[in-house]
Amino acid sequence: MLTLYHWEPNANSGKPMLALAEKGVPYESHYLDLLNFDQHKPDYLRINPDGTIPALVHGDRVLVESTPMMEYIDEAFEGPPLRPADPKARWRMRWWMRFFDAYFAPSLSMIGWSVFVGPAVRHRDRRELEGAIERIPLESRRIAWRKAMFNEFSAEELTESRRRAAFGTDALEKHLSEHEWIAGESYSLGDINGFNLGYALPLSQPDRCNDQRTPHIMEWLRRIYERPATKATWAKGRTQMVERVKLLERKG
Amino acid sequence: MLELYHSEPNLYFLKPLVALEEARVPFTSRYFDPASFEQYSPRFPQNTESLLNLEREGPVLVDGGTVLTSSFFILEYIVEANPAANLLPADPLGRYRARAWGQFNALQLAPGVCTLGCARYLAPALKALDQAQLRARIERLEPKERRAAWAAVIDGSYDEPLLAKIRERLGVPVKRIESALAERRWLAGETYSIADIDAFALLAPLPDLAPELVSERVTPRITEFLRAVRARPAVEKALAHARTPNPQRAFVPGAEPSRWG
Repeated sequence: MLTLYHWEPNANSGKPMLALAEKGVPYESHYLDLLNFDQHKPDYLRINPDGTIPALVHGDRVLVESTPMMEYIDEAFEGPPLRPADPKARWRMRWWMRFFDAYFAPSLSMIGWSVFVGPAVRHRDRRELEGAIERIPLESRRIAWRKAMFNEFSAEELTESRRRAAFGTDALEKHLSEHEWIAGESYSLGDINGFNLGYALPLSQPDRCNDQRTPHIMEWLRRIYERPATKATWAKGRTQMVERVKLLERKG
Repeated sequence: MLELYHSEPNLYFLKPLVALEEARVPFTSRYFDPASFEQYSPRFPQNTESLLNLEREGPVLVDGGTVLTSSFFILEYIVEANPAANLLPADPLGRYRARAWGQFNALQLAPGVCTLGCARYLAPALKALDQAQLRARIERLEPKERRAAWAAVIDGSYDEPLLAKIRERLGVPVKRIESALAERRWLAGETYSIADIDAFALLAPLPDLAPELVSERVTPRITEFLRAVRARPAVEKALAHARTPNPQRAFVPGAEPSRWG
């Protein structure tokens, strides 16, 4: 029995969704609405006391860290391998996943939370929002939600996040100009991770990420978008958010 | 032959030294002094990843021309290239746990330990150097994140309120490790693995830096864990690479804490 608790195919939720689709592993999908704070409700906290999404439940095993979760999916189930066999290529895959998870993604998500997540919930009653913050188990997440809800990101930290987003985009472009895929010669979890992070870059960073400036990123995103597993995964989205991926349709 | 570029056997540098000794993999030790900024010299082995490496002052493993960085992934590389070392659990869940600990400790534990160590030991050591030269050297560091990390050690950013906040936050990973060790003998399961090497290297300085967080009294299981790992012959050999009397006082700025506050 395999159940995935997830939000939209995007960022951390999209990582195991796309990995499972690539492996061809069926699973029970349990959608949690991040903007309705479903992830902080008692039903879900019984599964993941940290109240973070996603969570993968395989029999009596509960996995909550999305990047190691993808490696588990690759190891525990049949299907095409999603990690290269060569240890050096594997190291490269993991190195880039950490760069995505710890450097690039936090900067992009800070921008995303200030322009999208915050405004999506900010109109609600102040006491309701304060109550919602109270129910968040992790202090680091309480801080993030408070900043998003009440627009408390400082100009300095947003400027630094934009600088890092630009720096990360250029680093990725350089890497993809030297390697066909993140790990090197084959499609891997590194690409799944990077696609979840970067599929909307041409929309959110149009001056930085486009056909002229970053042709290798654009081609890489389109190649991943064209994979049947990607199409099937993004079809599971329930909000307008998933529409952004269509920007990767080739023209003509 | 593998070449390992490392400094004093502490924190990030201790991890690959222990893993190579555990796996009995021969390697050439290339010792460097982070405070001389040798790793920023063009003669130092480098590639795209090492220049962007989030633990920039950390160890570098060179295998046949490939430059490998990021200490937990170096451990995974060592055990995957030498499967006979038996330092990864045999089952997928155990391996998930090992990797999840590697990630959690890299993000939640390492930055705080580095900051406390730099404030206590690296800052006074840097103060003894020629300040104009030191500042000029730091000014030239790339990328910007590394410049900021070194500047923070000498510019007074590490004040007591910040260090108190860091000690408070370190309570979260410390408690989590203490509870995990109540459930299982080792972090990833019933066998010793790279998750334990990783956690040992990051936790070992804490009884000195923050005894209110890690001590026989408040964290008996971590204390026992540190003792058990310390007693391993491979750890003894790794620590023999020290060139100073107190390697556990050698710190580098390392990875930065989360920018989300």
